[in-house]
Amino acid sequence: MGWLAGKAAWLVGDSPAIAAALAAQGARLVDGEDCDVLVHVAAPPPMRPVHELGHAEWRAVLDDGLDLRFRLAQQFAARRQAMGKGGAVLFVGAPEQSLGSDHAAAAGALGNLTKTLGVEWARDGIRVNAVLTAETGETLGNLAAYLVSDYAAYVTGAVTGVGLDD
Amino acid sequence: MATPLHHIVATPPPFDAPPYPADVFAGQTVLVTGGGSGMGLAMATAFAQGGAQVAVMGRSLERAQDGAARIAALGARVHALSCDVRQADQVAAAFDAVEAALGPVTLLANNAGANFPVLAQDISVNAWNAVTRIAIDGTFLCSTEFARRLIARGQGGAIVNNSAQYIWTGFPGDAHSAAAKTAQATMTRRMAREWAPFGIRVNAIAAGFFPHETSTAGGREGGIEPLQAMIPAGRTGSTYEFGWLAAMTCTPLLAGLTGQVIVQDGGESLRRSLMMPDFVPPRERAEGPWGWR
Repeated sequence: MGWLAGKAAWLVGDSPAIAAALAAQGARLVDGEDCDVLVHVAAPPPMRPVHELGHAEWRAVLDDGLDLRFRLAQQFAARRQAMGKGGAVLFVGAPEQSLGSDHAAAAGALGNLTKTLGVEWARDGIRVNAVLTAETGETLGNLAAYLVSDYAAYVTGAVTGVGLDD
Repeated sequence: MATPLHHIVATPPPFDAPPYPADVFAGQTVLVTGGGSGMGLAMATAFAQGGAQVAVMGRSLERAQDGAARIAALGARVHALSCDVRQADQVAAAFDAVEAALGPVTLLANNAGANFPVLAQDISVNAWNAVTRIAIDGTFLCSTEFARRLIARGQGGAIVNNSAQYIWTGFPGDAHSAAAKTAQATMTRRMAREWAPFGIRVNAIAAGFFPHETSTAGGREGGIEPLQAMIPAGRTGSTYEFGWLAAMTCTPLLAGLTGQVIVQDGGESLRRSLMMPDFVPPRERAEGPWGWR
């Protein structure tokens, strides 16, 4: 066993369940750019009425939920392409309609970005998927580890949830 | 055209290295509809690799027996039987027979289906009924029979449905299957909600192109190689990696997963650009791997 044996995984953001599952499946957790697998977890932003949001607050949620994630994925893909190696990206966050309008915008954009990058980088052997869920436990960890492993070699551009309300 | 050699193609681990322990389904019985060949046989095999006892069901008893023999060769306890999943009485009798042979059914894979390219205006009543009712009524009848028995015993379980990657886009030239496979996915989400209080999980795989000996394009002359290059991933899928993902959704490793439709198509359904080859209407697409002639 060990879906990720021999792979270096960079987990950005906080998810004890994903960290535990990556390690349990044999991944070496690294803190930085030299990785085969990139998992980015965005913390759910506070839920606030959209008409009470200032532009700076709105922008901060979009930066964290979308722009930063795109830039990280872009840098990851550039490195892997330069090395002539494939890889896997997984975006993790809250369900699209579960929080405020700021999050809805970021998560919707991220979902279609996932589908786009999955195809754009397909022939580089780089897969891109997303899990948008309110769950934080073992199922999320195991699903994340599976999706970034070679077992999911034919899964790319997939946006999935975990539970009923995702 | 083949996938260019300088492209990187992601590939799964080999068949003899499944993603779960050999006893993950120990003591459990799975019923796989349409399990004698193709995608159903791949699911049945994947459950057997996890230690399940496998009931292989099919319209044709002979084909079910052939499939069951291949699974038995892996060391699994098997039972082959024939059933028309559109007939409620046959479905109930099939569950009785499987329970008698192997014990209570706690896992169900709804795979039975028919599909063939045909122009919408040429779909006969019989053809429409066959394709839609095997998938829609068959999934309804098998899932409810399964759930009623589990609920009566106070036991949880898991269902996985074999849906398709074209459920979000339509499938011009294949209208019956476009309708049928989408119904399977939407009932997946709703049944998951209804049966969550009983510990019954329901998920689906929206499967892409996994050529096999009984698929329309799989048996074509020249094999599948010319088809690999049209998929973003650079290859068609291997049936065993489909079987694994389907079985994975039923393992305790994903105990919280329910109501999900996971696409596994190598990016095929997402191929998209503003400039594309000229549109050819299905009626002018008689030839080719998915032509209707």
